[in-house]
Amino acid sequence: MGEIRPVYLEDKLKEVEDSGRLDYRSKALPTWCPGCGYFSIVEAVATALCELGIPNEDAVMVSGIGCSSRFPFFINSYGIHTLHGRALPSALGVKTANPALTVVAVGGDGDGFAIGGGHVPHAARRNLDITYLLFDNGIYGLTKGQTSPTSAVGFKTPTSPYANPDRPLNPLLMLLSHGASWVGQSYAGDPEHLRSMIRQAMEHRGFSYLHILSPCVTFDKTHRTYVNLGMQVHALPATHDPTDKLAAMGEAMKNEQAPAVGLYYREQRPTLDDALDALVEKAGGEKRGLRGGRGRKLR
Amino acid sequence: MSTARHHVIIGSGVAGNQAAETLRARDPDSRITMVTVSRLPFFNRYDLPRVFRGERDWRRFVIYPAEYYRRNRIALRRATQVVAVDSINQALTLQHKETIHFDTLLVASGARPYLPEELTEYRPLLLGFGAFHEAVRVADALPKKGHVIMLGGDTIGLDLARTLIELRHRVTLLADNHTFWPHEVSEDDRPRYIEALRNMGFDVVEAKERGCLASISQGAPGLPARRLVFKDGSELHGDLVMPFFGNVPILDFMIGSGVDIERGLLVRPNLRTTNENIYAAGDNCQIWTDSVRHYCFYHGWKNVRAMGELAARNITGADEAWAPIHDESLRLTADGKILSPFWEYQ
Amino acid sequence: MSTDVQIAIVGSAGDGTIAAGDILRRAMAEIGYRVISFDLYPAEIRGFGKCIARLRVTDEQAYSLKQQSDILVSLDDSHAIPHVGEAREWGAVIYETHSVNPLPEGAHLSGHIDPGQVPYNVPIRELAEKSTGSARSRNIVIVGYIIGLMRLPVEPVLRALVGKFKGKGDIAQKNEAALRAGYEEGLRWFRLDDIEFGPPPAQEKGAHVEMISGNAAIVRGALDAGIDNFFGYPITPATSIMERLASEMPRHGARLVQTEDEIAAISATLGAGYAGARAATATSGPGLSLMAEMLGFGVIAEVPSVVFVSQRGGPSTGMPTKHEQSDLNMAVFGGHGDAPRIVIAPTSVEGCYRCAGRAFEMAEAYQTPVIVLLDLYLSNRYETVPFPDRPPFDADTNRYADTRGGAAGFQRYALTVDGVSPRSIPGQAGGMHVATGLEHNELGRPNDQPDMHLAQSRKRHEKLKAALSHPGFEPAKRFGDTGQVEVGLVAWGSSFGECLEAMYLAQEEGIRCAAVKVVMVSPFPVDFVATFLADCKEVLVPEVNYQGQFAGILQMQVPRAVTRMTRIPCAPLRVEEILDEIRRLAGRIVEPQAA
Repeated sequence: MGEIRPVYLEDKLKEVEDSGRLDYRSKALPTWCPGCGYFSIVEAVATALCELGIPNEDAVMVSGIGCSSRFPFFINSYGIHTLHGRALPSALGVKTANPALTVVAVGGDGDGFAIGGGHVPHAARRNLDITYLLFDNGIYGLTKGQTSPTSAVGFKTPTSPYANPDRPLNPLLMLLSHGASWVGQSYAGDPEHLRSMIRQAMEHRGFSYLHILSPCVTFDKTHRTYVNLGMQVHALPATHDPTDKLAAMGEAMKNEQAPAVGLYYREQRPTLDDALDALVEKAGGEKRGLRGGRGRKLR
Repeated sequence: MSTARHHVIIGSGVAGNQAAETLRARDPDSRITMVTVSRLPFFNRYDLPRVFRGERDWRRFVIYPAEYYRRNRIALRRATQVVAVDSINQALTLQHKETIHFDTLLVASGARPYLPEELTEYRPLLLGFGAFHEAVRVADALPKKGHVIMLGGDTIGLDLARTLIELRHRVTLLADNHTFWPHEVSEDDRPRYIEALRNMGFDVVEAKERGCLASISQGAPGLPARRLVFKDGSELHGDLVMPFFGNVPILDFMIGSGVDIERGLLVRPNLRTTNENIYAAGDNCQIWTDSVRHYCFYHGWKNVRAMGELAARNITGADEAWAPIHDESLRLTADGKILSPFWEYQ
Repeated sequence: MSTDVQIAIVGSAGDGTIAAGDILRRAMAEIGYRVISFDLYPAEIRGFGKCIARLRVTDEQAYSLKQQSDILVSLDDSHAIPHVGEAREWGAVIYETHSVNPLPEGAHLSGHIDPGQVPYNVPIRELAEKSTGSARSRNIVIVGYIIGLMRLPVEPVLRALVGKFKGKGDIAQKNEAALRAGYEEGLRWFRLDDIEFGPPPAQEKGAHVEMISGNAAIVRGALDAGIDNFFGYPITPATSIMERLASEMPRHGARLVQTEDEIAAISATLGAGYAGARAATATSGPGLSLMAEMLGFGVIAEVPSVVFVSQRGGPSTGMPTKHEQSDLNMAVFGGHGDAPRIVIAPTSVEGCYRCAGRAFEMAEAYQTPVIVLLDLYLSNRYETVPFPDRPPFDADTNRYADTRGGAAGFQRYALTVDGVSPRSIPGQAGGMHVATGLEHNELGRPNDQPDMHLAQSRKRHEKLKAALSHPGFEPAKRFGDTGQVEVGLVAWGSSFGECLEAMYLAQEEGIRCAAVKVVMVSPFPVDFVATFLADCKEVLVPEVNYQGQFAGILQMQVPRAVTRMTRIPCAPLRVEEILDEIRRLAGRIVEPQAA
């Protein structure tokens, strides 16, 4: 952080209004606890959509169940708040039906890697052209604080009163091995970085996985706090080559000591849409546009 | 007596069926299997002329319905040909290589129409008349007021001819030494019987009158379907030619079986062959007849049925001898017609 | 009916038994007859297990097989011998007359033929070897033999043969030779059976008749209704729906993805439905259980989707290759909460086609998941179906909202008179909203207040009632005697075919009898069925499950004492059994019933 400069409220409000990003916020007030890292994620997504010039009606937020999954209600776009763990396959359906839509799947660490874990490899390996934002707070917040697949060993919760014995997953390593074509990590406590990473993730053509570290201020007072994360979070080495998957995996493994933020890996390869379009062409069919049933032609 | 023996009967004609009925009555728990090449159950071949009157449903010719065989637990194996009999191991082999073991065997395989050597090359041009489908084929081939040329003229042929004549067809009989078979007609009596045939509406051509038959061929287009040429050059035309030269026993499967065969299976008066488990009945066997010190054939459905019954009785413990009590002679009726006891089955 | 001939071919898997039956049924359809056919497969994939191909050839469409066949063919005596009683009296039993190896007594079919049956002992192997040099074509020879024996035209059979082996060059030639050899042989044989093939029925106008299986008919209906997306996971007996769609959909520009499990399949289907596509998935009982939670989401979020479910033996893994109708409760009620959905159950292969297409219409029109419930028997059976030359389906049955100039949020779940809210589709300006599994208000925002919960619950239930009068769809239909009857049958799914046949036989015996097929089970056609039951002195409800699931739903909707006929024979119901029950209920059987 640099020197502190005075900012006037009116100027700030005007700046926010002029940016146009408020159009992407819905009228509903978020239900999250004050101080929750998710607030900055909402800001960042609204800003990214605005900066990328994606019309509200062309965006679809898809979520599962959890604090994070309330997300679609706070963005002014289309959205599906589906079942626990089922954001990714629902997103598959939306994107396959209308590839012109911008589809963002969001979910927490439990939604994504416990009950939803079976869907993750397939969305990644198919290179489904969506953005998956994983809000990792290392806990099940909505149900009041149980351990999650990314909780640290030793973490004490109502379901692990004597300390969590389970080793946490390494989502970055997993997604890299599943074949995700864009893997990055960011931190809710650094809004600038978050905004930039989200925009890059959405710009990427293919399956973009952005892991976002975020504190749960209500139920985790010991491990993943702003103070701790503030000290641990650092940038990936400047020498890291994001086209080198092995190096990315190495960096991902180092996360188990201290998390590094930035772009881990990026590649370009055909998406699921490309494959499906190729099938249609090979079979001699005609590509369909889709705007609901309007213009649908029966034989 | 009631045993668990397996009685096998080859043939499902009059003899075989009578034997089966008697065996079942006298040996209730035994297993009875009847094997026949025919695809039909026991049907009334004597009634075949009815086909010419329009009766085409074979089920109306059946003597014993299917239910009879089921009720009496007689396993009726149709379309099945026996190819070998092993009298020592008491087994018979079927054409499809299945082996059946028997405790007792009754060979009631009957006889098949005989065709003289010199006529075998003309077989494709001749129409037989023994099986139901053959009768139908003849009836279909015969035009209205058609002309049938009958060769030989055994009693089966003569019986058919009566119906044909009644239905206004023309029948020409080329008579020879097979005429009236199996009845024996002396040289003296012959002219009267031939006259009787003429009386009944036959055109009769005696073999010695026209000389022997030289050839049979397909008639030219527009002419009747069959053309017969005689050695003396004369010709005869007709729609069908049917051979009726009498029957010969069906016994090829018995060769190598170990029992004695002459023209038929040789059996003692109790109808047993030279093997104690194998009997015969019907027109395929010759029975030792003391009075003439000779093995003799016996014909006619009455005799054949009696043989079947006798064989079955002896198989199940009796020891009775054959005595032909049925008249086999051909009769001349008061109005100058011929009547054979072998016609009109009951 | 002037033609009603059923042919059963029994053999082992390696004999080409099923292929022979397939060629015959295609041939009969080519000649112009109506056909219904259902094969029995062995449990193993390869090997020598028993197969039975059965087809019934009629001039008017039949919806069940007969208990007895008119012609029984053996391609393998060891398998056929236990079935020889299936051929009726005066029917034909066709079998190989020779044998390669010596046989013990009783090992040849000829020793088991009843005196009332007609034997046709044919040198099949010899004919095959003479015409094609190999015994492998025995099954084709026998097809030709049957055609020749029955004096049917051979050209349509050759066309059917060509159609089946299209593009297989040299095999096609060999098959033709085998067929002709069998045909010539059949012509030569003297007929002793009383089987009659009358003239085929006249051609239908505006339709072309094709012989097709239940699953293939589902696929045809989906394609004709313009399916956009399909997501599925393989499961017996629904797999062939996905496989067929996988090759057909790209040709229509549509997209299919095989997902990692059934939960992904239904989630994707709903996602696509939300995005405005006509989307579907297909599964069986176990998959339906997995989909239960998501179906509930589809109900509360009012998202159109179609789920084809082909039932098999249950519960749990059950009996994957056996027929049963025991997933009805799961389809109608499966899922927690008050979650009503549309459930339609076709009763014939033609019904599969029509229900499949209408399902997409209903899903959009009533904004809800629609389950099309069929079963293994329907999936795998073949019928001749008159397909209309033009698909009868409506390309778009959505009720759209006009969201131009919309200000304060779009009311996706507006409370309307008929319960159906105009919808917006992603991409439509001004129509933004979130579809949520939480109870919600008209804007779709989470709301757990009692008055809103009541209003939305009522909406979700009431809107479905309109489905009972959906255009072009009959939720239930009555057959047989009109007015008062002694015995009324109420049946669903494939069981209806056997019930209809039993009803006709009962009528012939002088019993006043009628039958109703209920195609739409949810919502239930209460008025129609109540009216029918009032006409019936006795009511019989036959179905293939242990609990009497349909009878339970029926009695719940129309309280009335009925006689349940529940059977779980791992096979379709038997017409004779249903007929016996009808007779008993009509008081026509005086002797006491055996226990």
